[in-house]
Amino acid sequence: MLRLAVFASLLVLMQSASAISSLHITADSVTHDTATAQQLELMVDLASTTVTAKAVHIQYQTIEARNANILLDYRALNNQNQHNQSQPSLTLNTDLKQNTDTSWAKTQMYCLLPKNLATESWDCSNGKFTAQRINLPFSLSVLPQTKGFIANINLQNANFSDEAGLHAAEKLNGHLTLVAKQEGDTLNFNSALNWQTGEVFWQPLYFANGGHELQMQGNLKGDIITLDNATLKLDKVGDLNFSGKINTKNYTLYKLDADLPSLNLTEAYPLLFKPFLGKTMLNDAELNGKAALNIHVVDSQLKTFKIKLEDVNIDDKNHKFAFYNVNADIPWSYDDATKVSFSYNNGQLLNMPLGRTNIGAEVNRYSLVSPSITLPILDGTFKLSDISAARINDNWYWHLRAELTPVSMPDASRAFKLPIMQGKASAEIPLVTYSGGILTTDGEIVLNVFDGKATVTQLTLQNPLSDAPRLSADMNLRNLDMGSLTRTFSFGAIEGKLDGDVQDLEMLNWKPIKMDAKLQSSDGKYLKKISQRAVENISSLGGAGAAAAVQRSVLRFFNEFNYEKMGLSCILRNNICEMSGIESTPGGYVIVKGSGIPAITVLGYNKTVGWGELVDRVKHVIDGNTKLIVK
Amino acid sequence: MKKLLLSLFVIVSILTANWVAAAADLEVNTPAIAALKASMQARHGQLSPFYSAGAIGLTKDGMIAVKDATAVPLSQRGSLSGLVSAENADRANLYKEIATANGHAEWQGDIQNTFAGRWIDKAQSGWFYQSGGGWAKK
Repeated sequence: MLRLAVFASLLVLMQSASAISSLHITADSVTHDTATAQQLELMVDLASTTVTAKAVHIQYQTIEARNANILLDYRALNNQNQHNQSQPSLTLNTDLKQNTDTSWAKTQMYCLLPKNLATESWDCSNGKFTAQRINLPFSLSVLPQTKGFIANINLQNANFSDEAGLHAAEKLNGHLTLVAKQEGDTLNFNSALNWQTGEVFWQPLYFANGGHELQMQGNLKGDIITLDNATLKLDKVGDLNFSGKINTKNYTLYKLDADLPSLNLTEAYPLLFKPFLGKTMLNDAELNGKAALNIHVVDSQLKTFKIKLEDVNIDDKNHKFAFYNVNADIPWSYDDATKVSFSYNNGQLLNMPLGRTNIGAEVNRYSLVSPSITLPILDGTFKLSDISAARINDNWYWHLRAELTPVSMPDASRAFKLPIMQGKASAEIPLVTYSGGILTTDGEIVLNVFDGKATVTQLTLQNPLSDAPRLSADMNLRNLDMGSLTRTFSFGAIEGKLDGDVQDLEMLNWKPIKMDAKLQSSDGKYLKKISQRAVENISSLGGAGAAAAVQRSVLRFFNEFNYEKMGLSCILRNNICEMSGIESTPGGYVIVKGSGIPAITVLGYNKTVGWGELVDRVKHVIDGNTKLIVK
Repeated sequence: MKKLLLSLFVIVSILTANWVAAAADLEVNTPAIAALKASMQARHGQLSPFYSAGAIGLTKDGMIAVKDATAVPLSQRGSLSGLVSAENADRANLYKEIATANGHAEWQGDIQNTFAGRWIDKAQSGWFYQSGGGWAKK
């Protein structure tokens, strides 16, 4: 097979007349199969029993080598060597690169050759593979087998990185055993990779340390790899057993069976899940408990999976949600409908405490239906009915009906960190639809609070769990008992009933940014009394002018006054609230209109006030701070 | 004649471009813009050391990009790319919201270009920015 392409010159130097002591052959070009070597030099030194082979350039398939040097040292056989070696040795030195690379890598290796090259182990130590950003010191031993080999490779303190630094390792120590045997057109292999220590970043995954193992047994036939049995052991995380068949050219997955019987979520969440969760609501949580996962893929199609959660706790670090003692059994099948179950012992969602909940649903490929789900919240329950959800083109769509049975307001106010309100609240939500990140309600949400009724209509909520949830709604309040309302917010006592209309309310991150709001005493006959403190507080909301307009002498003599009507409105735009009362006066507006004896009239003069300032004023009043902010 | 037409065309384009820049209020504030700015402000503390280390730089289209991840320890590289993509998502939204607040959604591209220059002007010395085909150090 050896063919000398251009010419070969044979130079024989005679050192003595009787024996040839060295042989020197040079060739411009030598081709063997798909390999071509240029400017080849072969020197055989019979006196010192060494063979040196050099090539300026070698091309083999897609790999190029330059400045290749091979030294075969047989001095051991006649005890002439300097290294005290008892075996002959092979030293290899060359620059290597892929055809497409621009820079060269250096490879060096020193191997001791066994007496029987075909049946005994070749041991190579002090191996080095270095290139820009790559430094892989290794040792290698190869034991030739019939039509195969057993190789052991050790990496010692290796570093590598791609140009972008997105696939990189530092101080890596590991061991690879590879057994390979050719049978006809099939290459059978059995490999065990043991990553002992060192850190690896493989975008987006980061492993701070080793202790992981990958064992694979299978065969390669043409472009198709068949794995009969493979195990990935991730230290402290869990063991994944898998098998399958894949085409390495076009990545067609003919078959995959994977089983993860016990996954430690405490370790798996930061290591494997968080890097993929990006800006989702699950990306900053604490997770613990156990999970199990099972997957079957046939012809690139996910056929079945099964997820089990066992006593899992999920706690959002931003306190948006938490679920404790979550247990779930979620089977899924491409072909058949399955029944899933999900339960938790307790938790919270946007600060609302959640009680023990069991959810059952039927899943049919990409849709889910459940006749009803009951979520205990405080002492009431949130009942969801007619639930149906579907995932279409990577987006969730769902709708449901909801009803909140009476919840005691003192508990709810404590949960939401609000002043303690009395009574009970209940609600009915006719139809809630979630589509494209937007939650909308049809019809009226009716809340029964403060012995009156609050009605919310046109409610839509965009990206409820994001950093910037956006809410828009209209709201009506009817006949709220001002006695219990003012006592709740320590505003100073007012007897009477309150109506309110908030039109075009828009809230961003739960702060109002736009609304047309109007609060006023309800029509009709009922006891209408206002205390001295309430008068002062209302005055302070209207600004400095209002406070001054109150007749202080009158205030001093009476604790309570009669009123005919009261009201205050705010049109909020661009952080400015344009205020008015129940009537206009020259230069101001009437907030409280008195009636009978003793009567009092409170006027407001601030027609515009910054929203932040108004909120501060209300806060100070509610906090019972007598030093009012009046600017 | 051809030359005259060409110069006229150039003058008109320059005038129109200036008109756009002059008419757009880049400081316009809406709650959406305030929320984006707050989110970017909060992230800046985390990005700042990466700018200084030369790991990331300012692109000429008003975004940021990973320039050299190897300037950052392996353990921080995952958060680096996450921060960069989150920042770019906010920046794209910011340009869109400013254009919308100005009542001219079609100005988004011009606003983005104006901001690209501003970010580079405001960059601290030692930070990298895209210049020509490569990176330059300020």
